Amino acid sequence: MTDPLRIAHLTPTYFSDASVIGGGERYVDNLVRALATAGGFVQEVVSLGSAAATRGMDQATLRVLANDAPEAGAMAGVAASLRDAVHDYDLVHVHQSLTTFGAYCTALARSAGVPAIGTDLGGGADELMLRRGGIELLDGVISISAFAHRLLGGAFTGPSDVLIGPVDTDAFTPDPTVERDPRLVLCVGRILPHKGVDRIIAALPPSLRLVVIGRVYDADYHALLRDRAQGRDVHFVHDADDAALLDHYRRASVLVQASTARDVYGRMIEKPELMGLTTLEAMACGLPAIVSDAGSLPELVPDPRFGRVFSTTDDLAALLGDLAAGRWPAPGAAGLARHHVVAHHGMAAIGRRLAAFYRAVHAAPRWGRPCAS
Amino acid sequence: MRILIVSNLYPPVVIGGYELACARVTEGLRRRGHDVRVLTTWSHLPVAGDGPPLAARRLDLPWLLPERPADPGAQQWLDHAAMCSCLPNTMALLDELRATRPDVVYAWNLAGIGGAALVDLLNLSGAPWVWHLMDRAPADIASGVPGGIGGLFGQRLGALRGGRVLAMSHHLIEEIEAATGDRIPGPVEIVPGWADAEDALPHLPYRRGGVARFVTAGSVHAHKGIGLILEASARLAAEGLRFVVDIYGAGAVSEFIGLAQAMQLQDRVRFHGPRSQQALFALYRGYDAFLFPTHEREPFGFAPVEAAACGTPPIMTATCGAAERLVGGVHCLKIPRTTDALADAMRQVATGAVDLARLGRAGQRLVAQDLSFRRCLDRIEAVLQDAAAGPGTPRIDDPSLAALVFLKHNLSLRLRFA
Repeated sequence: MTDPLRIAHLTPTYFSDASVIGGGERYVDNLVRALATAGGFVQEVVSLGSAAATRGMDQATLRVLANDAPEAGAMAGVAASLRDAVHDYDLVHVHQSLTTFGAYCTALARSAGVPAIGTDLGGGADELMLRRGGIELLDGVISISAFAHRLLGGAFTGPSDVLIGPVDTDAFTPDPTVERDPRLVLCVGRILPHKGVDRIIAALPPSLRLVVIGRVYDADYHALLRDRAQGRDVHFVHDADDAALLDHYRRASVLVQASTARDVYGRMIEKPELMGLTTLEAMACGLPAIVSDAGSLPELVPDPRFGRVFSTTDDLAALLGDLAAGRWPAPGAAGLARHHVVAHHGMAAIGRRLAAFYRAVHAAPRWGRPCAS
Repeated sequence: MRILIVSNLYPPVVIGGYELACARVTEGLRRRGHDVRVLTTWSHLPVAGDGPPLAARRLDLPWLLPERPADPGAQQWLDHAAMCSCLPNTMALLDELRATRPDVVYAWNLAGIGGAALVDLLNLSGAPWVWHLMDRAPADIASGVPGGIGGLFGQRLGALRGGRVLAMSHHLIEEIEAATGDRIPGPVEIVPGWADAEDALPHLPYRRGGVARFVTAGSVHAHKGIGLILEASARLAAEGLRFVVDIYGAGAVSEFIGLAQAMQLQDRVRFHGPRSQQALFALYRGYDAFLFPTHEREPFGFAPVEAAACGTPPIMTATCGAAERLVGGVHCLKIPRTTDALADAMRQVATGAVDLARLGRAGQRLVAQDLSFRRCLDRIEAVLQDAAAGPGTPRIDDPSLAALVFLKHNLSLRLRFA
């Protein structure tokens, strides 16, 4: 029996009120849980804080290192103590790899000869990593979508995989006792222009009702949405907790994710959607999805029986018209959507693939193992 | 052995004993049949063309510039390059490692040439390396590597873990460790300053004509005790004692000439400018004592040992590095670093209260037995051979090293200046 591999998830922030509650942080948490389903690993989440600390978390240990650059912003934090700490691991996974934090961790892991895998979670597009060869020092790259991988622009030429997820399919489940509202269209996301909520409002047929769930991050855009929603059946929910969100996933008839690469103000968005986690979570609840062609979203709905893709507002209006007329989705779409998510994006599925990738990289590091100082 | 020596300066560009010692050891190792190459900085002085070219003058020197920019930001940029990371120098070292494939890298003074990144590269390369310390360079470099940058190149003295350390004195090690608040990892081999006693001519009679002749040589600066020498000389002159003081070396000479004149010492204290080591060796035999009231941080001091080799007893600060080797009252006179103490010691010499011939003979024996160049080179060679034979995993052909060096350098700039 081989010893378990010691894995460090290096992340500038971690999912906690003490750090940041955000998508990138939740992704790391989910990845830890996914890998735990595969077995054979001892995991630590290594992050930054005002002082060094260690505490337990689900399936891992949280190891906080003192941030030596706290004034530089979350994605630019560094910890000199990582130079020694990195030797405690057989492999490190650098999250937010295209940031100063990511570049720093990559340099230290490479110096120590500890194999390193990087993942861009949208925190930056670091020049040193992307265009000056830094990313090539990684032993592997895991991208959270094919779109995210394409954004690397060929800068990384080593082993890579695309793992979309994981989704907690035990938490996000359908509830057969809850009756779906055939008129209810659901949109979940922060109130930001690149989320394209204005496009859903514009395309909404009079016979359907739209509920938008998400916190307001842009007051002007929020005002614009409220103005355009005048005379339509549109409701905003800005304080939904997890239970309320789940309830909406279970009662709605479709989820619309309308993110856009050019927002209502005409501005270009560099990374509109690296991975549409809410779409996958909705589908895990048996909710068919209509997504835009922005970013990674088309990758999430490969089967038109439970997922459709639109480009323009007119396209979206047509799809919503099909929904209103009962022409789509097909019977059984809810089961197909959930089965697809469980099979391809669930904890066990992602855990298996992640474990295999870690083991392959650890067995054959791309650059060998230089002497550690 | 194939030995790659790395030094910030190399003759003809020198500050003091560190660079001269580097050249002396280089020559000594070559004479013993080793294949020695020196990686160092450019020289603005004419370089002797005799012999095979052994020095690769490829390194930049963003340090000791006679004209520094007035802009504080530009100064910080230069300081970063000097102590922390200078990418062209790190890349040049990588090139040399790959081209020469040394059995051992023998580092001398790495301050001023991006020393932290150079040490880091030596560790990354897996090449055996030895750092010969003759001043507090590791402490100066460590002070230039703050906060998160220490994670890139090594904090305090931790980066020395991958190499071996030679040092001139315990005194020097204690100073480096005190300055960094850290310990040098691993054992330190003490190799003192040396002199070639066999080259010394017989000493001339002491206090010839009833006149005491004092000498000092080296850089002419306050920390070397030149001011103390003038003050002590003024006291002896006031007492009517017959003596002269000859000062050899460069530095703040005009400042001290002015001071000597103000103290009415122009007939007693004479400034001669710099002389070569060979010339000084020939001169020392004519003096009664070598004045070395240097600062207490003095790592060692070659000059008093060279004087002792010529039978000229040193009067030296009791806590300097060389004081670990020379016994007060046996080979030298040791003093607290005060004008009173220096004047008292000089007075003993001038009045014949000290048996100078006995001290001189004992000093010559000490140098011949323990502080000879040959003996010191034996120890250096043994350490180099031991390091070269040690377990190592050379990674100099790792194609990612250049990218890693580049990334670290640029991150260090970002962390310091962004």
